[in-house]
Amino acid sequence: MVFRFFQPFLIAAIFVTTVDANSINPSVISAPGYGELAYKLPEIGSYQLPPLGEASNGEVLIAEGEQRTLYELFNGKYVLLAFIYSTCSDVNGCPLTSHVFYKIKSAMQRDQVLASRLKLISLSFDPEVDTPSVMGLYGNNFRYAGSAGEWQFVTTASQQSLDPILKSYNQVILRETDSSGRTHVGYSHVLRVFLIDPEKNIRNIYSVDFLHQDLIINDLKTILQQAQRSGETIKLATASQQTSRLSKPGDNKLGYELSDYVTDSQDLELRKGEKADLLSIANNPPLGLPAIPVPVDNPLSREKIELGRKLFYDRRLSLNDTFSCAMCHVPDQGFTSNELAMAVGIEGRSVRRNSPSVYNSAYSKLLFHDGREENLEQQAWGPLLANNEMANPSIGYVLNKIRQIDDYRGLFEAAFDGRSVSMETLGMALASYQRALVSADSPFDRWRYAGDETALSESAKRGFEIFTGKAGCVACHSIGERSALFMDDQLHNTGIGYRESMGFSPDKQPVTVAPGISIEIDRAIIDQVGEKPPTDVGRYEVTQNPHDRWKYKTPSLRNVDLTAPYMHNGSLSTLHEVVDFYDQGGVPNELLDPLIRPLGLSSQERSDLVDFMRSLTGSNVDTLVADAFNAPIGDVGEGDPSWVHGSEVEVR
Amino acid sequence: MTRADKKLWLVLLFTILSVTMASAGTEEIGGDFTLTDHNNDTFRLSQLQGKLVLLSFGYTYCPDICPTELAKLAVVFDTLKGESDDLQGLFVSLDPDRDTPAVLSDYVGYFNSEIVGLTGSEKAVDQVARQYRVKYQRNDKAGGGYSIDHSANLYLIDQMGELVVVIPYGMPVEHIVDVVRGMLSVDG
Repeated sequence: MVFRFFQPFLIAAIFVTTVDANSINPSVISAPGYGELAYKLPEIGSYQLPPLGEASNGEVLIAEGEQRTLYELFNGKYVLLAFIYSTCSDVNGCPLTSHVFYKIKSAMQRDQVLASRLKLISLSFDPEVDTPSVMGLYGNNFRYAGSAGEWQFVTTASQQSLDPILKSYNQVILRETDSSGRTHVGYSHVLRVFLIDPEKNIRNIYSVDFLHQDLIINDLKTILQQAQRSGETIKLATASQQTSRLSKPGDNKLGYELSDYVTDSQDLELRKGEKADLLSIANNPPLGLPAIPVPVDNPLSREKIELGRKLFYDRRLSLNDTFSCAMCHVPDQGFTSNELAMAVGIEGRSVRRNSPSVYNSAYSKLLFHDGREENLEQQAWGPLLANNEMANPSIGYVLNKIRQIDDYRGLFEAAFDGRSVSMETLGMALASYQRALVSADSPFDRWRYAGDETALSESAKRGFEIFTGKAGCVACHSIGERSALFMDDQLHNTGIGYRESMGFSPDKQPVTVAPGISIEIDRAIIDQVGEKPPTDVGRYEVTQNPHDRWKYKTPSLRNVDLTAPYMHNGSLSTLHEVVDFYDQGGVPNELLDPLIRPLGLSSQERSDLVDFMRSLTGSNVDTLVADAFNAPIGDVGEGDPSWVHGSEVEVR
Repeated sequence: MTRADKKLWLVLLFTILSVTMASAGTEEIGGDFTLTDHNNDTFRLSQLQGKLVLLSFGYTYCPDICPTELAKLAVVFDTLKGESDDLQGLFVSLDPDRDTPAVLSDYVGYFNSEIVGLTGSEKAVDQVARQYRVKYQRNDKAGGGYSIDHSANLYLIDQMGELVVVIPYGMPVEHIVDVVRGMLSVDG
């Protein structure tokens, strides 16, 4: 019998490979978590783990009939959260989590800090099989062995309470089926373990290749050290995150340069629109902002704001019906474009400057980076007619097109006392909507203007002292007694434009080709294929005064955490880079603003300044973004004037 | 009440009913069972009362998980040999077609003489697997033969026959030893 013949041999072979009874599953390549790390970890505290977003809440069962929220379980601790199911047999799936968690739990036995600060949670995504009593049997592992450190096994009451949790943690779980459609015994899921800090921010996400106890403990010690060093910094850095859940790109590429980057596409379900009462927001600006200046001839009204909002998101307002205002001033990206240094218009045409945020533009007396317009009513026509933005050939073309679009019928007349669409009323409507996008009541405002000492972290308070003192930022980014605009309505030469014009750039440029893989490319090679850097002399182009060369408008710093990248050409990606730039004294040139000089800030002071700027995110940004999501986007329809539908815009 | 309302109420009622029925159907995990041991004798779990039982599931053709699990069990027995006589290892085959008592006898013997191999009719084995929430499935291979995917947790049943701990697959052997030792000192 063939079987009998082979069997002893087979067993012997297995024994050879399983001398160490812990080496699991010799026939499958085991994840690094089962062995020693093959590389040396960076020193604790030598790297940053910025918050990746908020860890969501949800309802779970810790025992039969005992319901808790996830936040209650987190209980102010650092948490490792794993999604598992108890009947999982994929060695590099749930069992890997168990193995690594066990190793960490063992470390907790020896390390008092780990034991008191960290908690391990395994949450089942199979509530049908993994009832609270089944999870209790897992929890019993530690009734008999290794009491130090907490590892909790929890489940949910039903698929209904589980689904929102899975969704918010981006866990896609599929019931496996075989080719004949029969349900397989297992689930297919992407293993992810979340490291969550006490402020409920996700600080790292470990996939199979990175789930290793040494790495996790290294990360945790790093966060602990940094949290201790900068006191409440972490809390503050996350304050803005908490007020701005919607303010990130739909396919968030944060951390793309790191090799453990995991796609962070935002769930459309979480990005649903909700209409806001913009008129009342505009009439009662949030704490820290003065009343908005409104032109006498264009008082705000609900109808105008509504119409302006429709126009702002309407793709048909461009030459080829594809490009709305909002495609550069993206609501969920701080009403700018987080992912483009310089804007890109219709058909991919390059624009030579960074899209300015629309937030609080109501207060600006100068518009565009070179301040060439003085009110929003007039400014609106700039992008509409720019050949590389919305590319309309003429004012008349735009007006005629709107006249021929059915869904605008009567709207202008209703908003403007019977006046129809015109160069003036179109600008007035767009201005009204943008004017209503006021945002403040940030942690800073609550501290400064409402006397709430707890609103601002210690590091941000120190940052405020530097901002108004040693660094002198406040000279241009003004803060008043009763309100603050964080800008001076002036133009300054910081040297950024000068550097660009002089073509100063490093010989090599790092290019990230894949997460964690960056190559240095010769500038000369990029220049051969790249577009020539645009000429840009700033304010001089408006005044022709040689002294105005490379002057650009001071932007407001409100919501600055949401409006990366920075400077008129988007050349600085992070607030840290901006602070470093000013700390070095900008780029010296004969027209450099005298206020800009080397500051000699310590690294602590620089990080305090960044923390301060992060405290400027308004409390209503999600409201404004959700309102934007609610707006129609003006896809070209049947009956709309377009040659595609056999009807062209009449140009009379 | 409109007609539509009535309809809605009915739907609601049925939903509630079906939910309660489903939850009423979930029985406790674990419990006694009867199978055939590797000496071809009838075996009841309850005959092991007074012993601490380590129950695992697998099949002898299993290329990876089962041998490592059984090797771990062997280490547990070797480590605790001097400490207790009241330990019993069980290995339930999920492949009764191929795993006859004779086959099982050969197989478990290679690991540790303290481990008893169990098999039975397909139905009997399936019943035990259900009781312990073991998931398994036969996968036919191209060119004949088949493998069985299965979950591989270790079940610890105390001296009173009650399932007390489930050790997830993936835990190192030291942990199993610690838990067994802890249970022996508490209960025995």
